[in-house]
Amino acid sequence: MPTTPKIPTAASADVALLLEGTYPFVRGGVSAWVHHLIQGFPEIRFAAVFLGSEPGAYKGIRYELPPNLVHLEVHYLYDRSRAKPREETRVDPHAFADMRAMHEGFAAPGGCPAHVLAANADHLLAGRLGEGQFQGSREAWDMITAYYRDHAPDSSFLDYFWTIRSMHDPVWALARIARGLIPARCYHSVSTGYAGFLGALLSQARKRPFVLTEHGLYTKERKIDLLQSAWIEGGGEAPGGEAPGSEAPGGGTPGAKPAGGSLGAEGPEGSYIRRLWIRFFEALGKSAYAAADPVISLYQGIRQQQIQDGAAADRAISIPNGIRLERFQPLRSRQAIPPKPIFTLIGRVVPIKDIKTFLRAMRSVRARVPRAEGWIVGPGDEDPAYFAECQALAEALGLSDTVRFLGFRDVNEVLPQTAVLVLSSISEALPLTLLEGFAAGVPAVSTDVGSCRQLIQGKEEDAEDKAIGAAGRVVGIGDPAALAEAIAGLYQDQEEWSRARAAAMTRVERYYTERLMLDRYAEIYGKALA
Amino acid sequence: MAGIGFGIRDLLRRDTFLGFFRAYAYAGVIGSGPWILSFAGILMIHILGRRLGIPVRLITQFQTSVTYVIAASLVFSGVLTLSFTRYASDRIYENKPERVGPAFLGALTLITAGSFALGLLLAAFAFPGQSPVYRIFMVMSFVTMNCIWLSASLLSGLKRYLALVGLFGIGYAVVVAVSLALRSRGLEGLLGGFLLGHFLMLTGMLRLILGAFPAATSAGASVRFDFLERRHWYASLTFAALAYNLGIWADKAYFWYAPHLGQPIIGMLRSSLIYDIPIFLSYVATLPGMAVFLVRMETDFAEKHKDYYGAIHGGATLGQIAGAKDEMVDTIRQGLLEIAKIQGLGVLFAMIWGPAMLRWLGISQLYQHLLYIDVVAAGMQVVFLGLCNVLFYLDKRRAVLGLSSLLLASNLLFTMASVSLGAEFYGYGFAAALLVAVLAGLWTLDRNLHDLEFRTFMRQP
Repeated sequence: MPTTPKIPTAASADVALLLEGTYPFVRGGVSAWVHHLIQGFPEIRFAAVFLGSEPGAYKGIRYELPPNLVHLEVHYLYDRSRAKPREETRVDPHAFADMRAMHEGFAAPGGCPAHVLAANADHLLAGRLGEGQFQGSREAWDMITAYYRDHAPDSSFLDYFWTIRSMHDPVWALARIARGLIPARCYHSVSTGYAGFLGALLSQARKRPFVLTEHGLYTKERKIDLLQSAWIEGGGEAPGGEAPGSEAPGGGTPGAKPAGGSLGAEGPEGSYIRRLWIRFFEALGKSAYAAADPVISLYQGIRQQQIQDGAAADRAISIPNGIRLERFQPLRSRQAIPPKPIFTLIGRVVPIKDIKTFLRAMRSVRARVPRAEGWIVGPGDEDPAYFAECQALAEALGLSDTVRFLGFRDVNEVLPQTAVLVLSSISEALPLTLLEGFAAGVPAVSTDVGSCRQLIQGKEEDAEDKAIGAAGRVVGIGDPAALAEAIAGLYQDQEEWSRARAAAMTRVERYYTERLMLDRYAEIYGKALA
Repeated sequence: MAGIGFGIRDLLRRDTFLGFFRAYAYAGVIGSGPWILSFAGILMIHILGRRLGIPVRLITQFQTSVTYVIAASLVFSGVLTLSFTRYASDRIYENKPERVGPAFLGALTLITAGSFALGLLLAAFAFPGQSPVYRIFMVMSFVTMNCIWLSASLLSGLKRYLALVGLFGIGYAVVVAVSLALRSRGLEGLLGGFLLGHFLMLTGMLRLILGAFPAATSAGASVRFDFLERRHWYASLTFAALAYNLGIWADKAYFWYAPHLGQPIIGMLRSSLIYDIPIFLSYVATLPGMAVFLVRMETDFAEKHKDYYGAIHGGATLGQIAGAKDEMVDTIRQGLLEIAKIQGLGVLFAMIWGPAMLRWLGISQLYQHLLYIDVVAAGMQVVFLGLCNVLFYLDKRRAVLGLSSLLLASNLLFTMASVSLGAEFYGYGFAAALLVAVLAGLWTLDRNLHDLEFRTFMRQP
């Protein structure tokens, strides 16, 4: 329920949370996690910096702000209404040379050295590198055109130029935000990307600790976005075949295809503009990894990937998500055994959840399980076009009486009626909904993404965890037939279902409670605030 | 999932920056092309009048009166015309042509009221001893000419050159015929013909403009003044026009009012017989150059200019954009070269026929060299006009303001210097001023064209 509470302000805070596109304006797993984190440390005064894309893209504050959230700032990185900066024709030659070295570092295989990143952060914050110079100086022009000639000489220069400009817009915005933010004793970003870059800037400028938590892999998610985006000309055809859910609306590129070649012309590595965006997000990620200590992941798989992407191994740690058991344990007694054939997907209706595969699977499930129902519990307003497509697909598959789009619902009502929790996502981190389901005694079928396999089958490297048994089944992504087989199979095999239910409850109680998680963060905050 | 990655989806939305290239779709007008035509008409009356036995004194009085009307109206109307023409071209570019008509009526109202007030003031004090009819005709002529410059500026902005030339042709035929027919009525008769011809010309222009841009609404004709709003008003254009018009009249005014150079003709109006006629002749000699200017600049160059921006919008590579620019630069070079060639021919003609002309007009052969240098200077004025025009296309309003101011300053300075050097240097001041202005203009243009891509991309919002 959108509310319009008073936005709190304070002169300083203990922990400044850097939140990109999540809490408190967007509902979702990460937002809920942030909400619980703030509530979990009532003695710590939190500030939250919300980074949005553009004004109007968010519908208001979706959470009741805890009293210890003492300060909230809202910034938009693509605010088109903002006045154009004054053009500056002169550049600082030293700063410019450092900036050039940084860009060369981004393109180099070894990445950009940390001291170069730090020097650039200093220049950016001190205004020695600024939007005015970027937009007005001959040096900037010469650099842009040289890169163009070297990398994309056959593509539309207007598109190239505009891409470079809009790619840099948020950088200037983040530098302004960093300069203006109230003092905090430590910074904590809940993703890499723009928020992580802001954290890197702030830790560099204020010489305070920077904690980075990654739920998913931001950079990887951006890559998926980019591979699916039709707004990049020639997009939609990811190298290596069709990406799952690639019928997702891409917004489309207005206007006719340029006459003089296009940026989307797919070379062996995809279009240059796509690679440019990918490299941009990689660079943001590396800046955050270089500055953060610790770099926290939810599970081992992510940690390994972070190390591969540039995080130092000795600073990379895993802290799994946890839930409040006491909230979900009472639901167990409300469950009918054997349960009714209701299969529930809890998640926002967005392409990354691959709702369409769930819908296709439900068609086969219905053929095998009489009176089967598929519930989709989650808001559809984040990507209305995708939501409409899903509804149309359900209709076309003849699932009008089988599938129900329930919108946002209290899981306390949904879980006791659910026989199997389903996740068809093409990307997940450590989904809280699975843990909540487990705590309520609901086994799950999930795609093999993020930590889902380890949640359902136990950690590979942990024999004790494995011994608990499987809490459901795991299938490949984008495979409706396998998903249907797993759902129907698990439901119809009473014995397997009961074993999975027991394993689910045991595993969540032993490894995934909020208490365990908060204890680890108490230790980290304790060190950072010292 | 955290992140605003989906926000980048429509960053390539081109329409958000198409507007940045709202370069002069219809601009490029310096409202001083047509006025050269009026010199032809005045000269015609001069020559024919003398043939018909009109006293020289009367012809001089008439010629001086209308010269002042033309010069003063050009300076006065310039304050409004360029900025208004830019307003109109912007609205047409925005696909809001319906806003041009009402604004035109607004501008016309303003300029009529302003010139009428100024004219009344002058008529009351500037012409002691003149008849009321003369004063009324002078005021009416002044108002009419102001309206004509406004209308002509808009029409040339709309590229209605043929219609303009036709209207001027008809108008001046009427001026010459009626003036001469009424010559027995003296100065008032000559002036009456001048007024009638111009009034007809203005009527024709108004019909053309209001035909293309109706100002009438269901509630009747509507008059709007939104072109005066800050966001629509281009101060740089106002000052550029003012400096330009003062600049090209500075030497003449100096000769009129400097002691021993000019003579009192009517009331406060003075003229310089020796200076004026060669200048008038020289301006008439620029007509072929003006024609080349129109064809080369307003068609060939305008087309290449459009191609350049078209290439950018059409997704051209940087190499293709540079190629389109080179073609545009080439048309500028060729256009300027051709103007220079045609004017060179004009100088040759002046050298061959000049002495005979002067004899025919009863001007001392001592001023032959004044005619020669004036022809050269007038030719350079056409080149200068061409340079300003190209700069307007590139939306370098401040550059034109600078060049016009340079012309004004150097014309004043060099004219004074030339006068102090003696009679054989008359005219050299004007020519030197234009030489300086043309060279500065070439340098400015070269600098702007050299890195046009940089300026196009980096210096746009």
